[in-house]
Amino acid sequence: MSELRVRAGGLYTTVQDTGRFGHYHMGMPPSGAMDTYSAVVANMLVGNPDGAGVLEGTYVGPTLEFTDDRLVAVTGADVPVTLNDEPVEPWTAIRVRSGDVLGFAMIRAGCRAYVAVSGGIDVPVYLGSRSTYTLTGIGGHEGRKLVDDESLPLGAAEGPGRDGAVVPEDLRPDLTGTAELRTVVGLCSYRLTEGGLASFLGTDWKVTKDADRVGYRLRGGKLDFTEREQPFGAGSDPANVVDLGYPVGSIQVPGGDEPIVLLNDAVTGGGYATIGTVISVDRDRIAQTKTGDAVRFNSVDLDTALAARRDRRERIERVRSRIAR
Amino acid sequence: MTTEKIQLPPARYEYGGDEFVFVELDQAMSLEANFAGMAVTNALRQEAIEGVVDICPSNASYMVQIDPDRLDPRELVEELRRLESTVGTLPEDYVLKTRVVDVPVLFDDPWTHETLMRFRDRHQDPDATDLEYAARINGFDSVQGVVDAMTSAPWIVTMLGFVPGLPFCYQLVPRERQIQVPKYVRPRTDTPERTFGFGGAFAVVYPVRGAGGYQMFGMAPAPVFDLSQSLPDFADDICFPKANDVLRYRAIDMAEFEATRSEVEKGTFRYRIREVEFEPATLLADPDAVNRELLEVLYR
Amino acid sequence: MTTIKAQMPGVFYRRPAPEKPAYVDDGESISEGQTIALIEVMKTFNEVKADASGTVAEFLVEDGDEVDVGQDIVRLGEA
Repeated sequence: MSELRVRAGGLYTTVQDTGRFGHYHMGMPPSGAMDTYSAVVANMLVGNPDGAGVLEGTYVGPTLEFTDDRLVAVTGADVPVTLNDEPVEPWTAIRVRSGDVLGFAMIRAGCRAYVAVSGGIDVPVYLGSRSTYTLTGIGGHEGRKLVDDESLPLGAAEGPGRDGAVVPEDLRPDLTGTAELRTVVGLCSYRLTEGGLASFLGTDWKVTKDADRVGYRLRGGKLDFTEREQPFGAGSDPANVVDLGYPVGSIQVPGGDEPIVLLNDAVTGGGYATIGTVISVDRDRIAQTKTGDAVRFNSVDLDTALAARRDRRERIERVRSRIAR
Repeated sequence: MTTEKIQLPPARYEYGGDEFVFVELDQAMSLEANFAGMAVTNALRQEAIEGVVDICPSNASYMVQIDPDRLDPRELVEELRRLESTVGTLPEDYVLKTRVVDVPVLFDDPWTHETLMRFRDRHQDPDATDLEYAARINGFDSVQGVVDAMTSAPWIVTMLGFVPGLPFCYQLVPRERQIQVPKYVRPRTDTPERTFGFGGAFAVVYPVRGAGGYQMFGMAPAPVFDLSQSLPDFADDICFPKANDVLRYRAIDMAEFEATRSEVEKGTFRYRIREVEFEPATLLADPDAVNRELLEVLYR
Repeated sequence: MTTIKAQMPGVFYRRPAPEKPAYVDDGESISEGQTIALIEVMKTFNEVKADASGTVAEFLVEDGDEVDVGQDIVRLGEA
């Protein structure tokens, strides 16, 4: 039977792929794996297409039982992985058989672990994607996080995956230290004073307990807004603007003291001034910060953002060629 | 009646990282700004440029999502500037083809009333209801006065977003007749599904239950979002409202509310929809005349 | 020394609700699987379950403190 048994759902485990696009204009965010690189590489290790369905575990990973021969790979957060209670290597394709049980211990660094299984997590495609968007309960497995004692459908494992394929250390992300987030400052950054913007870029911000797939709320500084007579229709708070669209990765500062970085399950628009956008590549990095971790915003230009994107693509291709050997 | 013409400042082009271009047409809300955005985004959609992932019109701005592997954001901005200079000011004879829809609302309903009473500590005026507060700060003698103002002239959907299917609506009246209310002092953790809300100069219907900061005035019996797509109006899309839709919010009583609810539950409910055309330039010059025509078409 | 560690980061609570008594007090004996506290993270409250039986020698974090993954939260004495 082509299914994966979920013995324990973990804290917040969802089915994700590379995202659902083309519906932002009606208020639907892309969802998809928060750490794209880790999810794509996990699929590659087991011989899946880059956009196959994977599991994204958060803090406490799931416990999974296999019901047939598969390849499995775990990437993302630095977390000890076990197969039938024996340690196994992450970032490596592992052959499993019916009855084998994959488990996770406590996270050492990072936040989200990705589990790819050859054949992919074959939940129904909804609006072009298998990604879960829990806010309105769509996509993924019944539009929600996994719970204990249920099953997920798996696709046919026909890919070119190879037992023992491994991602070399230098192609795994470094999740230690303060997360440096390259940011294109702009959008409505004119709402901040010069000092406010300098303090935004100069502060080590701490990830709060409310950080989730919708957005990361941060704390640690206070930013000043320029005084103005609020424009018509904006609302009375100095952080208010006439409701506008929020790019994925954009940063808003309600109240001036709690920046929020919007991520894959973002609200798509609203009435708070956005002051910049974390570049797409570094969304992978913030996705691997956990409550209590520190992040910094470094101002970069568009060229740097585009170059970073090319670099990530090259890195992915290097992994692909290393795995193919 | 005629009204003072609003001149838009030059558009501001901003990169929202590598995947988005954000264009601010004005910091203030106006029909002029929204129509300018509509003109450019409609033209851009026609061009079907490779690498444009999504086009998101907003109230006085718009946003384009791109795949930078296929389209350089700088090339897109060049094209948007070109469109701004060619179509960014609507020609006097520009005709907007859209639909006008009757949206029933039960004002001062028991459900939002119960919710707003739970969150009085987050409100500007804890001793009044949201509607009483809005009537007072907008200079109306009574709640009926502000309800009449909101229901007499139709609204245009100027943006969809926040959550899937939520329509931001701006009334088709001159700025001096716009109703304005602030958002809650601190956002609520709860808002009933289908709440008719109001914040800034925008009316909304909440598609799903959840957090919210807009004032709560009433409840719509018909959904704007239907995941099951069981109602005929949702056959093609889980969201009913579309940008540029003209919505007429119509005050109803509890009997009609309940009758409509039962139609919704039986799966037979259909919105009253009429195709319309109007010239934005004419609307700006004589809103009352155009609004009369729109309502006449709707209830013909 | 046996301790129970936080499995996730967040804000630590010893009681199910502000007006309720603590799940367990110092000196009480607990058994494996028993709920001893809550950790709030990602807008949800998650039960902390004892992964060993024993007597609560002391709580090492205060109600409302922030905790990190792997942080010791309870020291256990002999069962």
